Amino acid sequence: MTSIQTEPRSGSRSGVGASVPRPDGTLKVTGEFAYSSDLWLDGMLWGATLRSPHPSAWIRSIDIGPALAMPGVFAVLTHEDVPGEKFYGLEHRDQPVLAVDQVRYQGEPVALVAADHPETARRAAAAIIVAYEPREAVVDPRRAAFDPSCPPVHPHGNLVRHQPVRVGDRFQAEVVVTGEYEVGMQDQAFLGPESGLAVPAEDGGVDLFIATQWLHVDQDQVAPCLGLPKEKVRLSLAGVGGAFGAREDLSMQIHASMLALRTGRPVKIVYGREESFFGHVHRHPAWMRYEHGATADGRLVYVRAEILLDGGAYCSTSRAVVGNAASLGVGPYEVDNVRIDAYGVYTNNPPCGAMRGFGAVQACYAYESQMDRLAEACGLSPVEIRIRNAVSQGSRLATGQVVDSPAPLAGMLRELAAMPLPGSTVTRRSITEPSSAKPSSAEPVPDLRSLPGGVSQTTHGEGVRRGVGYGVGIKNICFSEGFDDYSTARVRVELLGGEPHVLVHTAAAEVGQGLITVKAQIARTELGIDKVTVAPADTSVGSAGSSSASRQSYVTGGAVKAACEAVRERLDSLRAGDPELGLVELLERFGPVEETREYRHRPTFPMDPVTGQGDSHTQLALCVHRAVVDVDVELGLVKVVELAAVQDVGRILNPVALEGQIHGGTAQGLGLALMEEIQVRDGRVLNPSFTDYLIPTILDMPPMRLSILENPDPHAPYGLRGAGEPPTLSSTPAVAAAVRAATGLELPRVPIRPEDIALAAPS
Amino acid sequence: MRPFAYQRATDVPSAVAAGTGQAMYLGGGTNLVDLMRLGVATPEVLVDVTRVPFDTIEETPGGGLLIGAGVRNSDLAAHPLVLRNYPMLAQAVVAGGSGQIRNMATVAGNLLQRTRCSYFQDITKPCNKRVPGSGCPAREGDHRNLAILGHSEACVATHPSDMAVPLAALGAVVNVESSGGPRAIPMPGFHRLPGDAPERDTLLRPGDLVTAVELPALPFAARSRYRKVRDRASFAFAVVSVAAALDVADGVVRDCRIALGGVAHVPWRAERAEAALRGAPATAEEFARAAEAELAQASPLPRNAFKVPLARNVLVRTLLDLTAREDLTAAGDTGETS
Ligand SMILES: Cc1cc2nc3c(=O)[nH]c(=O)nc-3n(C[C@H](O)[C@H](O)[C@H](O)COP(=O)(O)OP(=O)(O)OC[C@H]3O[C@@H](n4cnc5c(N)ncnc54)[C@H](O)[C@@H]3O)c2cc1C
Ligand code: SF4
Repeated sequence: MTSIQTEPRSGSRSGVGASVPRPDGTLKVTGEFAYSSDLWLDGMLWGATLRSPHPSAWIRSIDIGPALAMPGVFAVLTHEDVPGEKFYGLEHRDQPVLAVDQVRYQGEPVALVAADHPETARRAAAAIIVAYEPREAVVDPRRAAFDPSCPPVHPHGNLVRHQPVRVGDRFQAEVVVTGEYEVGMQDQAFLGPESGLAVPAEDGGVDLFIATQWLHVDQDQVAPCLGLPKEKVRLSLAGVGGAFGAREDLSMQIHASMLALRTGRPVKIVYGREESFFGHVHRHPAWMRYEHGATADGRLVYVRAEILLDGGAYCSTSRAVVGNAASLGVGPYEVDNVRIDAYGVYTNNPPCGAMRGFGAVQACYAYESQMDRLAEACGLSPVEIRIRNAVSQGSRLATGQVVDSPAPLAGMLRELAAMPLPGSTVTRRSITEPSSAKPSSAEPVPDLRSLPGGVSQTTHGEGVRRGVGYGVGIKNICFSEGFDDYSTARVRVELLGGEPHVLVHTAAAEVGQGLITVKAQIARTELGIDKVTVAPADTSVGSAGSSSASRQSYVTGGAVKAACEAVRERLDSLRAGDPELGLVELLERFGPVEETREYRHRPTFPMDPVTGQGDSHTQLALCVHRAVVDVDVELGLVKVVELAAVQDVGRILNPVALEGQIHGGTAQGLGLALMEEIQVRDGRVLNPSFTDYLIPTILDMPPMRLSILENPDPHAPYGLRGAGEPPTLSSTPAVAAAVRAATGLELPRVPIRPEDIALAAPS
Repeated sequence: MRPFAYQRATDVPSAVAAGTGQAMYLGGGTNLVDLMRLGVATPEVLVDVTRVPFDTIEETPGGGLLIGAGVRNSDLAAHPLVLRNYPMLAQAVVAGGSGQIRNMATVAGNLLQRTRCSYFQDITKPCNKRVPGSGCPAREGDHRNLAILGHSEACVATHPSDMAVPLAALGAVVNVESSGGPRAIPMPGFHRLPGDAPERDTLLRPGDLVTAVELPALPFAARSRYRKVRDRASFAFAVVSVAAALDVADGVVRDCRIALGGVAHVPWRAERAEAALRGAPATAEEFARAAEAELAQASPLPRNAFKVPLARNVLVRTLLDLTAREDLTAAGDTGETS
């Protein structure tokens, strides 16, 4: 244990550890919150995007004449009008601002229109004549990865990254289980579509108001494409309606700016729901082969795996996703011999990139499925097999990295397994003998909402089988593999109306996770001042890094803490001559005190390209889930009765916000297990709407039982551990395992749909 | 979206007068506006019929119900006589869409909503229903949610309505007004099988205005149920559904009405199952036999074959339920509260 200071210096009741309510909560519930799609300036124009209908085609010509001729149209732009660099990208600048002579996925932007009305803009976009020459679309990721005769999606080939992990050389064991697993393409399904407003500035630059996850990385990509120095591209965060990774890549940022600079008018772009499905990346679908070897008593000897991730048409964050899949590919288990090959490939499918869980989700479903198979082969319970192999502090991961903070997985599993199971909701009665009698009063009538099929009343208890399943996940927190990952905070203490006030300014994106509240809590705790204002996020302060990788409480929280400490030191030194001086007098005498600090977590290191060895992560977080399901085996319906979770967060900063993260992450994992999938056929998306892309409703999400542990990580501010992603990992395999337990089916693919569950006739 | 003119009709004659040429009637707009946005529907004139005073539910002299075409789905499902006399209809309506959609959707619009086949909704793809003669990519492509019964080479789409399934089971009659005078078209039969003209979903002709749906008196329908299998607990279209009313006396089925949803281009009246059941003992074996009799004619496609055993299982369950669970046929039992 360490001497982390956790008590609020002031005894403030709104400091670290308190369930301080979030400022946006009421506004969102009452519909008053201003999202980026609500932005408005008088005289603004509306932008629209013409997108490719083909997953792969040459562009032979673009005729913008008919669009330009329409009244109300102010500009029609193509790749020829991109003022600077024509390509952008997060890891690799391979994505054209507007398609040049080729389109590589359905929905790729080809041309832009600005008009005085959104409908005019849309119609003008539709009037642009593009001559496409469709070419063979590469849609099979296995072919893209391994078949040399496969046409290249990009000139440099189809392999985005191959990351091996090699350790040990014993690949024989008494018990061997193998499996092939598949994960469908999940969407982040945020509710606020991509939107923003670009305002041309007098200095020839542009001010961009935008819903994003990382203002500075947007700025880094937008400015060169506009041919402008960075200081002339200023970004401010607009109201974000959810992100989950889908706002890491650019969408309309460059487009709106180009239109604004060309027309000299503010330009707003708002995607519709269908366009949004084409406007952001998705979670990589995965094809995985695993082989686990163990001793007869269930101790892992080796793991062999091949993980294939379809990155779609552009690189986005595929390289880092592959890195995570490889480095975390065996899960939180001790095993001495590992041979993993993780591949990310280009295809003409929709581009895939960041989504909550980032490469760790897919592998987790596979390795946890394998652990259950192993348990069965060894005659052990799912909990026992996991406990026998669980990592703990001091364990060495497959990458050689040593777990150097508490990782009490075995204890977490024991606690989870000891939680009481929910009672039966099912009235069992013979299905072969319908009785004409009413159920006797002794026989409880089940609440229909609690049965598979829920309120659609498909199931009244006949043929319903209960299953219990466990899932364990391990997620890296913060950016990995040598990335210079930091955040910046500016903290100012001043007198307002004779009272001390704190102003906290960072560029960190509040995407709904509650970071604004946590920053204020940290300032209160560190400075002992209750009145804290959090300034809107923009690029007038240094980068905060991305609101992703569960990292903002850690890194921006760390920066706020560091800046507060610096302010405190300044105040102390100013006070040095007169220790009795109160804060108010001090500020009266010396004026406001302001400090800016950058905070970096411990450095990480690249994975060795051949062996995968290296301390690639700075922090690892664990979550374990138990799912209880009732499956109607005849109708293929699954009702998740309860999800219980144990998560170690190091230190709770805001209990209510934290529980929200665990609930939300769990729900997204449940969605992947049972219904969420972007269906792609021949490179085309079949279900780009919330009518056809199903996300869990409140009726699909069961009550949760949570146990939150606080075993501090001595390297992190307050000992905290990032919390947003881990629950997304483990809930999927837990639900799948529970359905397997209920049905006895293999279920090698998620989402599991009714037809995947045996539909045996009632006997 | 193609530009269009908007007109509001205030009574049936003015609606019919306006509904000529490339005009379409606008009910709640929950399906039509989507299809216009997608470019699938391209009316030149939208005739809004939501102000036409055909939004009431009345008892007919024969003991049935006359339901106005403009009655909103929410009002239909909540009507005391529907709940009491035709519980499967209330259950079916409530099992569809969401509260917001049901507040907008009208009876006529629900009956006339178009298929959810993804190719039909995507104007960049061929589709015989949208562009006659262009082909049917669903047959080889994505047809997981499409028909197992009564489909044709030309089209394998399903009719997505939940409400239409109990209406087909009940033998409801659709009242139509047109420039040529009124007509009454009984269900089933109002919707058509695709044959080689899948562009026509129903027997309606251009300009026909649906004015009401008439339910015959059917006392034993007071004991009826609608069951729906879908991909999540709420707010999703049917994968397969069943509407059934059963009249059992002394352990023998005296009469029954059964229809299946999600399996065909029409709400599928299960006549063979009905015939097999009439006079048979009300047992699980007989129910299974009846289901088999109906589904023997199924011709599933590779990726929707699961619907055959699924339909059988849902049908058997629903019938069992009707014989066993009197408490669940109570009027208030429409399940969904959201
Ligand atoms: C997200 C979503 C989920 C849904 N889920 C379900 C579900 O689970 N189950 C289900 O059954 N349905 C579902 N629906 C479909 C919904 O029930 C229909 O959209 C609705 O019933 C259509 O009614 P409307 O009044 O809005 O019709 P409109 O959209 O106004 O019209 C539909 C068609 O009917 C025609 N029309 C309307 N009134 C008349 C008239 N009086 N005479 C002649 N023609 C007329 C129109 O011209 C048009 O062709 C869902 C819809 C959405 C958007
Ligand atoms: S099934 Fe019918 S609606 Fe679907 S593509 Fe074929 S013709 Fe069109």
